Amino acid sequence: MVFGWADLNGYAFLVPLLYVLSFVIVGLFGHRLPRAEHGGWVAVVLAGLAMVVGVLIAVGEMVNPNTWTDTQYVWLHTVGNGTGTFPHGLELIMGTLVDPISALMLIVVTVVGFLVLLYSIGYMHQDRGLARYYAELSLFLTAMTGLVLADNLLQFFLFWELVGVCSYFLIGFYYERPSAASAAKEAFIVTRVGDIMFLLGVFIYFYVFALVGPNGGWAANGFAFALGGHPFLNAPGGYGVSLLFLNAHSTILTVAGIMILGGAAGKSAQFPLHVWLPDAMEGPTTVSALIHAATMVAAGVYLLAVTSIFIGFTPTDSLAIVAIGGFTTFFAATMAVVQPDIKRVIAYSTISQLGYMVLAVGAGFAMVGLYHLFTHAFFKALLFLAAGAVIHAVGSQDLFKMGGLGKSMRFTSIAFLIGALSLSGIPPFAGFWSKDDVLSQVYGTLGTHPAYWPFFLLALAAVFLTAYYIFRAWFLAFSGDHPRDPNLPHAHDPPWTMRVPLLVLSGFAIVAGVLPYLPAFGKLFDLGADVPPPPFGFSDALVSVVSFGLALAGFLTAYVLWSNGRVYALPERSPAQPVRQLLLHRYYFKAGFDALGLRGIYLLSRIADWVDQYVIDGTIRGLERAFGGLSGRARRMQSGMVLDYATFVVGGLLALLLFVLIVGPYVLHLWGG
Amino acid sequence: MNLESGAFLVLAAAAVATALLALLVRELVHTILWIASFFIVLSGLYFLLQANFLGVLQLGVYAGAVTILLLFGVMTTRRRIFSREAATGIGPASIVLGAGIIAVFGILVAGLAGATTGSGPNSYPPALLSQAVFNVYGPWLLLVGFVMLAALGGAIYLVREGRE
Amino acid sequence: MTDPFATAGFLGLSGALLVIGLFGILTRRNFILLLISIEIAINAAVLNFVYFAAYAPSAPIALEGQSAAVVVIALAATEIAVGLAIVLALNRVRGSINVAESSELKL
Repeated sequence: MVFGWADLNGYAFLVPLLYVLSFVIVGLFGHRLPRAEHGGWVAVVLAGLAMVVGVLIAVGEMVNPNTWTDTQYVWLHTVGNGTGTFPHGLELIMGTLVDPISALMLIVVTVVGFLVLLYSIGYMHQDRGLARYYAELSLFLTAMTGLVLADNLLQFFLFWELVGVCSYFLIGFYYERPSAASAAKEAFIVTRVGDIMFLLGVFIYFYVFALVGPNGGWAANGFAFALGGHPFLNAPGGYGVSLLFLNAHSTILTVAGIMILGGAAGKSAQFPLHVWLPDAMEGPTTVSALIHAATMVAAGVYLLAVTSIFIGFTPTDSLAIVAIGGFTTFFAATMAVVQPDIKRVIAYSTISQLGYMVLAVGAGFAMVGLYHLFTHAFFKALLFLAAGAVIHAVGSQDLFKMGGLGKSMRFTSIAFLIGALSLSGIPPFAGFWSKDDVLSQVYGTLGTHPAYWPFFLLALAAVFLTAYYIFRAWFLAFSGDHPRDPNLPHAHDPPWTMRVPLLVLSGFAIVAGVLPYLPAFGKLFDLGADVPPPPFGFSDALVSVVSFGLALAGFLTAYVLWSNGRVYALPERSPAQPVRQLLLHRYYFKAGFDALGLRGIYLLSRIADWVDQYVIDGTIRGLERAFGGLSGRARRMQSGMVLDYATFVVGGLLALLLFVLIVGPYVLHLWGG
Repeated sequence: MNLESGAFLVLAAAAVATALLALLVRELVHTILWIASFFIVLSGLYFLLQANFLGVLQLGVYAGAVTILLLFGVMTTRRRIFSREAATGIGPASIVLGAGIIAVFGILVAGLAGATTGSGPNSYPPALLSQAVFNVYGPWLLLVGFVMLAALGGAIYLVREGRE
Repeated sequence: MTDPFATAGFLGLSGALLVIGLFGILTRRNFILLLISIEIAINAAVLNFVYFAAYAPSAPIALEGQSAAVVVIALAATEIAVGLAIVLALNRVRGSINVAESSELKL
């Protein structure tokens, strides 16, 4: 038998399995290896294997476009009896679904994951707890690949939670630092708000779709569901989701859509659940790169993309998604403008770029959103890893202490420059193509959806801000003659384990935008007629020109203010000063949450405390006193004399006899007649 | 009044009398003698009910072994074996309880006054009984064995040397 | 009483013996007398088993009753053995087997 490409899809489970293997080996035996890096190499090798499998699966998808391979393992099965809540029974499934978009995500996750692990070897070599680090990173990748390959929403949710808990571990990697521990908690708790909404959404979908169809109707990978490619839908008595059916449940599905949006907003750090992401910079830079490029934040957008088929048909949900995406794009970009911390600048840019993806998905172009996710994964990982190389070299994250690093770290500065060009959307770098697609597609919908106008304009304005803040960071760090802080150690370019990932990612950051132009690769974005693929190219010359012009303007502004070691200090009495403070304090969002937590929750706790002390404890103390007095009397019965006990036994016997023979029958008699 | 009926009356009276005497006589050794007679009288009742095997068992286990054990207990705990302490007075609680129990049993037995058995008692050969004990109720027997084992261990633990 | 084995007669005897046993349990202070009282009460119960076994409607039921009687007799003998062990222990520790004097069951 010839082993064809399609057969490979059945082995998709190998990808998460390899990471699990790495997690187990490194987690259990990593600290026993002769040197701590060896565990890292184990993780790198296994991640490399996983990458090979993942890329092969993706290639298989390119060779056989638009195939759907669903390998299912029944987790729980009940047989229906034709009536009741689940007339067809109920089947919960764990499985792997390989379709074009999961293949696309596999490329992103496995490639970036491998490069980040490789980079970690050099970046983390001085840290303690390396076994823990590599084990957790592997588990993180397990969760993400499992999520990408999930063939239903329930499984999706399980891996989603695993992603959340891994992010908690990794952000809190330097747990001795109180700020890191608190950032880890923050990330976990804030995303948990979204997770609860997501779970509610899952329940609603379950409720709606499990009432019809065979096997309890429980399959909820959106695309597979809608396109009928899912074997489940073709089963005898299968039903396919008709518009009629969706309309009949439109109200509850709208609610479910909002819930899913909440979950995605939590994971992808969209307004107002964005607060955790900048603080997540407390983790190692490599973790930031992984979280912000390929894994955690991508999960939210991926979730929106696969469920867009359910969400997209309700105008309310679409508008909500567009609004949140568009607003976040601008909102996050403004905060990045004043940041002195190199990692936080990139962190805000992540929130902002995720806003573009959400915007695109909300406007009905899920594949365009994924296109931007694809390019963003590479240039954002590049930016983070380049920033990591800088931090590694100078031991500081403060942009205002750096400067002139372009001379001593030429390689890194060029890598960062490529990432910055890509991020700001300068052609022909990757970011331009996808961002331009997002903007032009949304622009195309404005005629039918005038409500999208303000959010389109915000997203457009964010283009300018993006170019400005990323080049501000670049100029501050690399331009000039010498560091502003003379105490910084002499910087040098990183070792090869860190250079190779930078090199590869630089390559991707240049070409990832045009990769889908290859017909074969473009197949990964082609899901058939119902889901429009990205247009790949200048679909709207006006939007392209305007966005390019804005990016150029941003670049020039940054050049004027910050290049060649200049530092533009805002005058003390400038009217912009309050705005700057507002931005530096992140719109007082965190302070507001803290106040809400400290004041509101504290007040609530005080009330609860009062109730606890006086109502609950009072009752209990009263009971205690009553029983205490009673038992004081009752204990006199316990004389310890055998004969007394015998008397009690006989007394009990008599009482029992009386009850069984006389009282009981009498009561029954009264009852009965 | 036929022979069996007479035998029952005699044996019943003897059983009550010996039981009471066993508890009321002042000498402990006399108590042992009376309780032995009580066991023998009871075995007579079993024979009367055609339960021959149980009658023999009663004679062997009770009239034989238990009596000897009790006698042994009396001998080891009394220096002068023909003496005993006075019984306690009967408290009001005991009187009330006793009266209550007697009343309840009286009511119960009185309710059965007219009930007759019609025919004589059935007799079963010991082989059948042993089959029942060892086959049908084998697990019970096993359980009893465990209880006995535990009792044996407990008894040894209680009486072993050097325990204070 | 025309029927020699009238139910009332046997149950009356059994009840009377049980009451005598209870009387002994409640009033005697000597541990050995206590044991004897318990034996009387147990024998009252065994008498019940034997009586009803003799008039059981079928052989299996009758044999069940007799089996129960066998088990009870065996357990009663065991109980005497343990009781006597307690008697010996009490006698050694306290020099007396007057149950009214021991209050070790109290915490």
